[in-house]
Amino acid sequence: MADRAMTERAVTGHALPPIVLWGLSAGVAALLFTWRVGMQWPTAPGDGVDLDRIILFYSTLPRAAVAVLAGAVLGLSGLLLQRVLRNPLAEPSTLGISAGAQLAMTAASVYAPFLMERSQGPVAFAGGIAAVLLVLSLTWRRGLEPVSVVLAGMMVALTASSISAALILANGDYLFSLFIWGGGSLVQQDWGPAIALAVRLAVGAVAALLLLRPLTILGLDDASARSLGIARHSSRFLVIALAVWMATGVVAEVGVIGFVGLAAPALATLSGARTLRQRLLAAPLIGAILLWLTDGLAQLAAGTGGERIPTGAGTALLGGPVLLWLLPRLRMLEWPNLGTNSPSPRKAARPRLIILLLFLAVLFAAGVALLLGRGPTGWSVAGGDMLLDLAAWRAPRIGVAAAAGAMLAVAGVVIQRITGNPLASPEVLGVGTGAGAGLTAVLTLSAAAAPVWQFAGSVLGSLAVLIAMLAIGARAKFGAERLLLAGVAMSALCSAVTTAAIAMGNAQSYVLLRWLSGSTSQATGVDAWLMIACLVLLTLPLFLAARWLDILPLGENTARGLGLPVAKGRLTLIVLAAILTALAAMFVGPLSFVGLIAPHLARLVGFARARAHLASAVLIGALLMIVSDWLSRMAAFPYELPVGLFASLLGGPYLVHLLAKGVPRHG
Amino acid sequence: MIFLPRAMVHLPNRRQALALGLAAALPPIVARAAPLRVAAIDWGMLETLLALGIEPVAATELIQFRKIAVEPIVPRSVTDLGLRGTPNYELLRTVAPDLIVISNFYEYQRPMLERIAPVLAQAVYAPGVPPYPLAEAAALALGERLARLAEAKRYVDETSVEITRLRAALTAASGRPVFVISLGDSRHFRAFGRDSMFGDVLQRLGMKNAWIDETDYSAAAPVGLEALARVPDASILVVSPLPADVGRSLPANALWNALPAVREGRVAVLEPINHFGGLPSARRFARLATVALAGQAHG
Repeated sequence: MADRAMTERAVTGHALPPIVLWGLSAGVAALLFTWRVGMQWPTAPGDGVDLDRIILFYSTLPRAAVAVLAGAVLGLSGLLLQRVLRNPLAEPSTLGISAGAQLAMTAASVYAPFLMERSQGPVAFAGGIAAVLLVLSLTWRRGLEPVSVVLAGMMVALTASSISAALILANGDYLFSLFIWGGGSLVQQDWGPAIALAVRLAVGAVAALLLLRPLTILGLDDASARSLGIARHSSRFLVIALAVWMATGVVAEVGVIGFVGLAAPALATLSGARTLRQRLLAAPLIGAILLWLTDGLAQLAAGTGGERIPTGAGTALLGGPVLLWLLPRLRMLEWPNLGTNSPSPRKAARPRLIILLLFLAVLFAAGVALLLGRGPTGWSVAGGDMLLDLAAWRAPRIGVAAAAGAMLAVAGVVIQRITGNPLASPEVLGVGTGAGAGLTAVLTLSAAAAPVWQFAGSVLGSLAVLIAMLAIGARAKFGAERLLLAGVAMSALCSAVTTAAIAMGNAQSYVLLRWLSGSTSQATGVDAWLMIACLVLLTLPLFLAARWLDILPLGENTARGLGLPVAKGRLTLIVLAAILTALAAMFVGPLSFVGLIAPHLARLVGFARARAHLASAVLIGALLMIVSDWLSRMAAFPYELPVGLFASLLGGPYLVHLLAKGVPRHG
Repeated sequence: MIFLPRAMVHLPNRRQALALGLAAALPPIVARAAPLRVAAIDWGMLETLLALGIEPVAATELIQFRKIAVEPIVPRSVTDLGLRGTPNYELLRTVAPDLIVISNFYEYQRPMLERIAPVLAQAVYAPGVPPYPLAEAAALALGERLARLAEAKRYVDETSVEITRLRAALTAASGRPVFVISLGDSRHFRAFGRDSMFGDVLQRLGMKNAWIDETDYSAAAPVGLEALARVPDASILVVSPLPADVGRSLPANALWNALPAVREGRVAVLEPINHFGGLPSARRFARLATVALAGQAHG
């Protein structure tokens, strides 16, 4: 209770009352809009054609309308999802709804164009609802516990967007499509989308009002809901379907616009909306203001040669920092802490034997990847001279993949132990995408930056993100959910930087695209040896400092009490993790999720002590990445697919399956 | 493993012979005067090779090439190497070409490619530079390297003669500026500026490019269709393929329908043409654009 009073004071004691703040934001958005209208106001009648009027009426005005409507739709959709799932992290992006809709639309344009021609909306809805059903069914047995749901959602989202990217890559004029998909664009040329979104908003608002009572009760825990006689599941699904219908409408009309669905309800709560009724009003309003303002700024930044920052990326650029700043002020007491009821982890009965088995599995996988492959005549097992010849190509890739997987695993172990959060990882906390932002910065300074500088930029980017995350986490004494939320925001922010740079469509874009999708294709023997050397050099000290890793999760005071140089130790570990992440991302991209999966699997196998945990995670990471790399080369031979896709396809479902089974986790 | 005896004679290199044995799809090697076996990573180089009568042994993304670039026809015997960005080096190694041609765009692959065969790189597209002269130079360089210089010279001349001839046919239609665009979806287009092949050829046809703004790598990033209203009297050439949703939503697009070019029937959809092509693409574009624009002038 004391905690609650404190946070409330923090909010209300703020210099500006929220309503003034939002009024001001809306004012700025309106000002930007008026300025734009003024610029396009038809000057002299009879001055050529009345094109100015047409642009004003069919482009400028509907664009503002779409910004307001899409923002409101996303805000409402996010609020409904957060309410029925009792999950402050739920929203169209984190639940995989947007990515699912996007995948469905991409697949439809490739395989069934007639569907896209006639019924874009239903296609998007089908994709979104499939994604959310998958997420819910995966986490059903864990009672839809918030963090599991979001974790599964992010896995589904990641996999869906990887498959979309692979489809685009393998099937089309890919760069152009990727530019457009990369960030939602609000460019309009008639009132169709605005009307479609207005309908969705109106239907959504009316339905939400009609569902006010069930919604109020669904926000309570299951037991109370049951005793109040609500058909919990059917009304839950009804609300979810409604939210998905609204959110996928936005995807179908303007593309993926992240973040508004997450931020608007959170900001509504922070702005003092207490009751559900107030929030139902405030969340769409704030969403509308956010998107309208962002779009105004995006148009301000646009030149005549096209938009420099897609609005969809702009929302993250603007909203990310806002959410990060507000997080410590966000109250999340309504949700049970996931760490409290997990019993101590299972211990592996014979750790040495398991580690030996894992090591043999890595060797076996490497052997298979070296020997078995596809050629012009089909599958073949290499031998003799042919093996010597092919090994020169295959061995470096295997080596680099193994080292990258192991590095991500080590980074994951370190990050999970520093934060004491089993769900933290380089991918979840945005450290990988931070490397991308750093790389973008270097490439912006010089398009032909040497690889060393590119690498230095990546390291600095991931380091900056990691330090920022830990600083935010430490200041606010974050729980698992909050750190995850900060990670989502940071990740969105960093990928927005990269997306904006890719959307410029210049020489740097291609470098960044290649980096994003990840490929061991350019790996040479030297690269492989360098990566392995770096792995050994950076990981050995960790084995020696295993005591730190054992003690740090116990908390700062305990650690200090045990005589640990906490500040120095943490910093060293952070720098190590950042370098490892940036190194790995150079070859496998930022989004493989191996850094999350490998340490987790190692823990689930039963390795709790740091040294064994590290060793087994290294082996699992290497194993995952070797297999993914091999699959990425074999699946569509001779076409090579992004390696990160296969890593998340391999490890993700298994991890989610384990989560669903309710295997104990432990911070 | 069966070795082709002739291949053994012709290519004493053990590894290459071995690789040849692997590649069952290869045509038998004809004895001594055999031409160089070439692989193309870049599509512009691929079409130029074919135009010079050289059949490459391998090239990239052929499924897509046949759909988007269309001509010249790629024989079925050419091995598909996979994506341009990440070609399958193992497969290329198995095919064992004598020469690999790339463009400046694929320089980053050079270290890997040079392990397989010597690399010939020709730059055609550079920011701010009209590409047609570079494409001519590339064709001549390929001809010289592959002992087809006469053919290359002839092809360069023929192309320039054809463009001049088409220019004459267009005199009636000139005067109006022309947008050359491709559609990303029903709301966005990509404009081809003066450093694109389409922009350069347009100028050679005596037409004015309506897109005078900056471009990055020959085309501006997605722009909203309203930008087309900036030049009201322009004609519009849309290069296929059209995205799936365009057929449904473009006819309903109010702004599109209000554009003078659309109202007055000055929009034409061209068949697909390689955006980053060489001389064959230039020629194909010149031909298709002339038919479209001349048709507008008369109709």
